[in-house]
Amino acid sequence: MGYPKRKNNVKVYQGNELVERRQELLDKITQGDSFLPDSVLHDDLDLGMLDFVKQNFSVLSDGGQVPIIPKILTIQRWGEFTNTWDFADLDGNPSLPFIAVIRRPDVQPGTNPSLQRTIPDRQQFHYATVPTWNGTQMGADIYKIPQPVAIDITYEVSIVCTKFRDLNKFNQIVLQKFSSRQAYTTVKGHYVPIVLDNIEDNTPVELDSRRFYVQNYRFVLLGFLIDDQEFEVKPAVSRLFLMNEFIQSNNYEKKYLTKNLEISVATFTADGLQTVFSVGETMGILFNVSINGLVQERDIDFYHVALTSKITFVEPPRENAKVTITYYKGRSSVFVDSEGNVRQVSTEYFTYDGSSLSFTTINNIDSVISLDINGLLQEEGEDFDISSGTEITLKGTPRIGARIGVTYLF
Amino acid sequence: MYMSKKLPITRLSKFFSNEDFDFNLQLGKEYLHGDLNMTLVLYRVDTESTDTDAVYAEVGKDQIKFFPPIEFNALVKIEQPKNSSYKNGTVRYLEPGNLTLSVYIDHLQDLGIDIRYGDFIGYPETEDKIRYYTVSNDGRVTSDNTHNMFGFKPYYRTITCVPAQEAEFRGV
Repeated sequence: MGYPKRKNNVKVYQGNELVERRQELLDKITQGDSFLPDSVLHDDLDLGMLDFVKQNFSVLSDGGQVPIIPKILTIQRWGEFTNTWDFADLDGNPSLPFIAVIRRPDVQPGTNPSLQRTIPDRQQFHYATVPTWNGTQMGADIYKIPQPVAIDITYEVSIVCTKFRDLNKFNQIVLQKFSSRQAYTTVKGHYVPIVLDNIEDNTPVELDSRRFYVQNYRFVLLGFLIDDQEFEVKPAVSRLFLMNEFIQSNNYEKKYLTKNLEISVATFTADGLQTVFSVGETMGILFNVSINGLVQERDIDFYHVALTSKITFVEPPRENAKVTITYYKGRSSVFVDSEGNVRQVSTEYFTYDGSSLSFTTINNIDSVISLDINGLLQEEGEDFDISSGTEITLKGTPRIGARIGVTYLF
Repeated sequence: MYMSKKLPITRLSKFFSNEDFDFNLQLGKEYLHGDLNMTLVLYRVDTESTDTDAVYAEVGKDQIKFFPPIEFNALVKIEQPKNSSYKNGTVRYLEPGNLTLSVYIDHLQDLGIDIRYGDFIGYPETEDKIRYYTVSNDGRVTSDNTHNMFGFKPYYRTITCVPAQEAEFRGV
């Protein structure tokens, strides 16, 4: 069977390339829940080196794997002891062979070529522009981070054993991995180069002492520090999404009957076509709607859906008619004014019998919301006065038998 | 160089004879073997039966072959343990001290054994703990004055042993 002749659709490189590869790398370093990369600090780099050794420097000896001390050894005795007791002898000494990773405590300024040209004063640089939207405001945040700090960390990976063949195997593995003198470990998605610096033999040569080999492989990790404490997030241009509900009336007025309760009276001038009038805010309680002072009946002359801002007339009021809507903005039937007093609403009806123009209410009047005579709204001060706490006096004389309705707070 | 015919030792004959030598030796052995009775176990390596690495002549764990172990008596001196580390103060270990044996040549000849460089020796420290050593100096050369009784004839060997790790030897 011959080799296939056609070369179409042969993908030589299996992974992503160019921009896709860059995006893939970027995704790796921002796997967290933010748009910014995670911090890369000394301990992260140490862990990266340790993982690299565990994954790549596995040596078999006498049918078993040479144990690698699972942590980076420091001067703390307890830490050292806890990390070697898995392969300790009866005296508590680590049994041979084993591999240990020891970091030099001194971390030097970095020699990573990609970070050689540094800019002084830790300036912040643009990293990303992240769109924001909080339901009202649309904008963007500018994420800025300083240039990473290049550092060199020196590690000594030591193999302690009693057989020359173990040394050979370890040496072979290391030199194969570092055939180009450097290899890479991955720290939180970042590729960090490791350079093989030196190999030296520290085998103690004494006739009258125990025999073992100690060989040190010195590696330099060309790392960098990224500290999320230095990141900056600043808002950039913000766009405010404003929705305005325009009222189709040129003459819209609004006043407060009583400011401490915000009982509002909105007045519109009809254009003869408009049937829907909006006060621009939710009407919690609608007291009355009038056209040219004549009170309109709900569900007959107009409709209103509770807790909305609109009144819809069955027929459009005549052109230049004065439409008045009296309402309370709050959403409770219990009125509490700004001074904390509980107020209630009451509507009483009287019939004028020709004897007196004064009418006595059951409750002490705090303020009158509306007064109408046979449905025609009267104005306080002009058409009537509150003569005492419970008494209302009309200034004009209505027809005998006229119905007088008073809605008031007490 | 060993001679085919024996040559009588006549030096010091006016003050010290072979009988005196044997008498002193007997006194010493009675003290060492009878009174002190320091007993050790010798594990002689069977170099012919042991398979070794073709290039480095090393052996793996549990691959050394031994002759049957033999008990013998010797004067035992164990040095103090050394606190050491494999790497710049880390990976510390407490190295047991070296074992120095003084053994009568005559005793070894009686047992028909020789202690050689690389053999293993077990010394029971307690009833349930035995520590193994490997011979780093078999003291075969006894030509010095110390090992000669009044300059008459050598009569004992000083054998230096270093502690053996489990990876090397863990008893038979």
